[in-house]
Amino acid sequence: MSVPDYMQCAEDHQTLLVVVQPIGIVPEESFFRIYKRISAVSQVNVRDSQRVLYIRYRHHYPPENNEWGDFQTHRKVVGLITITDCSSAKDWPQTFEKFHLQKEMYGSTLYDSRLFVFGLQGEIAEQPRTDVAFYPSYDDCETVEKRIEDFIESLFIVLESKRLDRATDKSGDKIPLLCVPFEKKDFVGLDTDSRHYKKRCQGRMRKHVGDLCLQAGMLQDSLVHYHMAVELLRSVNDFLWLGAALEGLCSASVIYHYPGGTGGKVGSRRAQGGSFSAEAGNRHRPGALTSNGINADTSAEIGRAKNCLSPEDIIDKYKEAISYYGKYKNAGVIELEACVKAVRVLAIQKRSMEASEFLQNAVYINLRQLSEEEKIQRYSILSELYERIGFHRKSAFFKRIAAMQCAAPSIPEPGWRACYKLLLETLPGYSLSLDPKDFSKGTHRGWAAVQMRLLHELVYASRRMGNPALCVRHLSFLLQTMLDFLSDQEKKDVTQSLESYTAKCPGTMEFITLPDGLKLPPVPFTKLPIVRSVKLLNLPTSLRPHKMKSLLGQNVSTKSPFIYSPIIAHSRGEERNKKIDFQWVQGDVCEVQLMVYNPMPFELRVENMGLLTTGVEFESLPAALSLPAESGLYPVTLVGVPQTTGQITVNGYHTSVFGVFSDCLLDNLPGVKTNGCTVEVIPALPRLQISTSLPRSAHILQPSSGDEISTNVSVQLYNGETQQLIIKLENIGTEPLEKLEVTAKTVNTKEKLYGDFLSWKLEDTLSQFPLKPGKIATFTVNIKVKLDFSCQENLLQDLSDDGISVSGLPLSSPFRQVVKPRVETKPINPQESSKVGDFSHVKTLEAILNFKYSGGPGHVEGYYRNLSLGLHVEVEPSVFFTRVSTLPATSTRQCHLLLDVFNSTEHELTISARNNEDLILHAGECQRMAIQVDKFNFESFPESPTDGTQFANAKQLEEERQQAKGLEINSKLDICWKIPSLKREGEASVEGVLNQLVLEHLQLAPLQWDILVDGKLCDCDIVVDCKVGDPIPLEVKLTNWSKHSVGPFALTVTPYQDYQNGVHNYELQDAITFVGSNTFYIDSVKPTKDSVYFGALLFLYTGDFYLNIKFHEDNCSRELPLSWFCLPSVHIRAMEPMVQTKL
Amino acid sequence: EWPVLVSVVCSPPQNYPLYIRSVPTENELKFHYTVHTSLDVVDEKISAMGKALVDQRELYLGLLYPTEDYKVYGYVTNSKVKFVMVVDSSNTALRDNEIRSMFRKLHNSYTDIMCNPFYNPGDRIHSR
Repeated sequence: MSVPDYMQCAEDHQTLLVVVQPIGIVPEESFFRIYKRISAVSQVNVRDSQRVLYIRYRHHYPPENNEWGDFQTHRKVVGLITITDCSSAKDWPQTFEKFHLQKEMYGSTLYDSRLFVFGLQGEIAEQPRTDVAFYPSYDDCETVEKRIEDFIESLFIVLESKRLDRATDKSGDKIPLLCVPFEKKDFVGLDTDSRHYKKRCQGRMRKHVGDLCLQAGMLQDSLVHYHMAVELLRSVNDFLWLGAALEGLCSASVIYHYPGGTGGKVGSRRAQGGSFSAEAGNRHRPGALTSNGINADTSAEIGRAKNCLSPEDIIDKYKEAISYYGKYKNAGVIELEACVKAVRVLAIQKRSMEASEFLQNAVYINLRQLSEEEKIQRYSILSELYERIGFHRKSAFFKRIAAMQCAAPSIPEPGWRACYKLLLETLPGYSLSLDPKDFSKGTHRGWAAVQMRLLHELVYASRRMGNPALCVRHLSFLLQTMLDFLSDQEKKDVTQSLESYTAKCPGTMEFITLPDGLKLPPVPFTKLPIVRSVKLLNLPTSLRPHKMKSLLGQNVSTKSPFIYSPIIAHSRGEERNKKIDFQWVQGDVCEVQLMVYNPMPFELRVENMGLLTTGVEFESLPAALSLPAESGLYPVTLVGVPQTTGQITVNGYHTSVFGVFSDCLLDNLPGVKTNGCTVEVIPALPRLQISTSLPRSAHILQPSSGDEISTNVSVQLYNGETQQLIIKLENIGTEPLEKLEVTAKTVNTKEKLYGDFLSWKLEDTLSQFPLKPGKIATFTVNIKVKLDFSCQENLLQDLSDDGISVSGLPLSSPFRQVVKPRVETKPINPQESSKVGDFSHVKTLEAILNFKYSGGPGHVEGYYRNLSLGLHVEVEPSVFFTRVSTLPATSTRQCHLLLDVFNSTEHELTISARNNEDLILHAGECQRMAIQVDKFNFESFPESPTDGTQFANAKQLEEERQQAKGLEINSKLDICWKIPSLKREGEASVEGVLNQLVLEHLQLAPLQWDILVDGKLCDCDIVVDCKVGDPIPLEVKLTNWSKHSVGPFALTVTPYQDYQNGVHNYELQDAITFVGSNTFYIDSVKPTKDSVYFGALLFLYTGDFYLNIKFHEDNCSRELPLSWFCLPSVHIRAMEPMVQTKL
Repeated sequence: EWPVLVSVVCSPPQNYPLYIRSVPTENELKFHYTVHTSLDVVDEKISAMGKALVDQRELYLGLLYPTEDYKVYGYVTNSKVKFVMVVDSSNTALRDNEIRSMFRKLHNSYTDIMCNPFYNPGDRIHSR
């Protein structure tokens, strides 16, 4: 007895063993089809009795096991069914002969035998025989089952007769000693007449009868016999047979307690049989047994079950039996099988701990040298039994050993397939699944060290199986899920072998389906490299699309009827799906930034890294990167070009690492930060590139609005200079440029700027539109810098005043105001030159030119792009007006403006004004220039409406007015400077220099006084000639241009003579007389009205006379400014009347 | 000089080792298998005494199973953290009481680790 049957269970003790074998050449498939049909007849209800026979079929049974048939009758082959293929009658005798030979093999134990012949037809087949059945073919054999039942019945008859024969043996008869094969020689020469020997014979026979009773379906009888046998054998210390008797007792009890069987699958199959359930009801009283084997109604059981062991006793007896078996080395198989049976019972009883003890014992039972196949079988069955008692880890352990055994080096042809298959079965025991998703979240599951070992073995087995794809998949899985547990050296080794495998068979993202239907999901390398954040990047500022305002309004209204709704704002969409508030443009390169790091201790080469997107056709431009060993966070930018428009969602990225292609979806990545993955792609827009005539600037403008400036240019200008900026606009996109808008914004507004800083004519450029891709248009901008020319710092020494007071009062002596431009050179003192340095500091002006352009389909959708050009202008001072003052001109309508001009440049400079000669100024020189200007009538400018307006407003208005005045004055002056050495020229503006007082002086008084002498308008230098003796009419005309009525005034005309030496002679009563009053009374004059007063003068002597017209100092005139009463002085030359010589 | 392996295993469902230390470092994987399979017995023992009151429960599980060369002892805390110790079976100096006190000390050390505010429960334990 050397071949253990690991599938044995306690119920097998009640079965009859029938061997089904083919003889001759029988197709394996056909044989097993018939075998299956035969083995379906496993229970037979014997005629005329309540008893049931159980049959165990085997298609292979070692004859040496048969020799143990006396020890345990279920080991005895009692029936033989042979199946043969016989096509012609000629072969029949030969076949029949073979059948007999086969019978002889088990001859000693056989009760009966049958031969099933397939294929034979004709005469031989027609003769009825009990031991042979003929069937025309394997398909045409309906009566097989019936035949088997008949056969079993015949077996039963033999069994029953044997049982009765043995049971009724009288004690007087000589009872033969039953023995097991290895005992035979021990009994040679033993005293057969001793009491001891007889008892031994009796005990063994009792045990044998018990076995027969059990097989014959007489459970109670068998229990009685077993009990008796135990008594007898215990008394003679026949341990081997005592063990057998005890085991028989256990088996019978198990059969009684657990009608469902203990064999697992076999048992359940039995339970399925309809006949069985009916029998079960007959054999056992209803309700007596529950599924867990505990009697529900014990009182009723006592009578019949007193011989039956309780579930606890069964185990005790099994233990005892096994301990007895253990005494005999040759009974190893029996012991092992007993252990297995006991474990099955314990599994049913759910007593795992005790079961594990039995199994532990079974492990140590040393059989003879086992073949490799037997070892595999043994380990597999151990694994199965451990599985059954819930020891999954132990089960996996043994299964793995079995798997290793399949490929043991001692085996000439290692069964790598079987090994692989068994290894796969161990996975659950190690809490390992082959789906990487199970390992992507939370802490690691299971025992990494052993899992890693198993994965290595899977890799190796699959490689030896010759399935590189499988091998790569397992290795990828190992690398992906066990990365945290691999040592640096292991990481290197694993990746090296992975690379060598993928060289032959690259890793893919396909499912791998194994022959047994198991699907291995793909293993994306989400940890090589590890991605920490994914950020969709906006386009560069110059390429960012903007929505046109008007369309934007419409857009908002279509989305929601509400202007603002908190519900929409707080909608709890998934974070990944949140939309980003910028857009991508079709056809433009769009970027996604990933922060990655390399967990490997060596440089990681990631190839073909690109984006996975949905929603829009996207041309991903894969990148290859090389990450240094254990790098920190490393930014990687993945780019692509959307080809169509719509919503694009970035789902993940794909990589190729170590030859394994991975598609990593963001949803499956733990701990990845994103700013949203969905962005809108709008239709294509043109792209504009600008280049200018000016050099690029190092100054980067930082506008507050956050816009970025794509290009910065800078230029250096002298204050007042004008320069042209030529901008080339090139369409470098693929769409035609149809629309262009240009706006400018001055950034640095600290400096007060006069005049238009930037001016352009867009029409010239627009005439070149639409601009086809690749074409260039030009655009010209005039830069004009006109900063303050005043010198408020007063750092410069004033030119020494010549004493001319700048008062509003008309000066009495017109000749003192002989105005020639005073050229007074005053070089700057050397010690003051440092101040000049301060003074000539450079001021900067910065402006941004915005080009809004659009075209193509994007324009249709209402999008435009904005390109900004930063302009940096350094303004060097040219000239300064250090001081300004006025001098009244001879005419009341005119005035002299005195300007102290300072050349702050380092070059010689000429300055000119309208109607004035050029003035040459050396570097750092200051000169005064006087410009004669007509007084200005500012009344045309808006007045403050009423006094009731607010102060601030009034002040503002006043400022505005002053500015406007300045502008007008400046436009009249037309002051220009020129630096001949640099060939540069510009304007100078006095706008900032003029103060209130000067302005007042330059203003034309609203009361216009005209004095007519002798009908001639007197003004300034006009000398009126008159004759002595003739009365000269004097006419004073007042025109009121102011808005209020003025007057009444009283005027006194005082004549005087100027001796040109500072002496005025007012004592002229003798020389001049007034015709009428020398005092004029003017009534109040309404606005825009005038009134005229007449008087007359009579000159009595010749001479030059002046008339001083003075106002009486009465109250009303006080209210008005003095400058309003600026009357022209009158110069009259009285001459001798021409003597008319009348001949 | 006797080989000892100490292991601390996290509670279900992860059941992964928090700490493993074996005195002879060679052939460590063998001990991994021993401890891993012994968890079956631990699980079984825990489930068997599941009905017993928690405070009455003995944390020490005793000998889990003997192998040819080693004895495997188990201990489980109330929070189902398992301690497993594998000792050389030839070492007779180690009796049940010694093993029990070793487990107590181990449990105390484990409690100390848990009290460390810088320790994240579930992380591997490193011993200096």
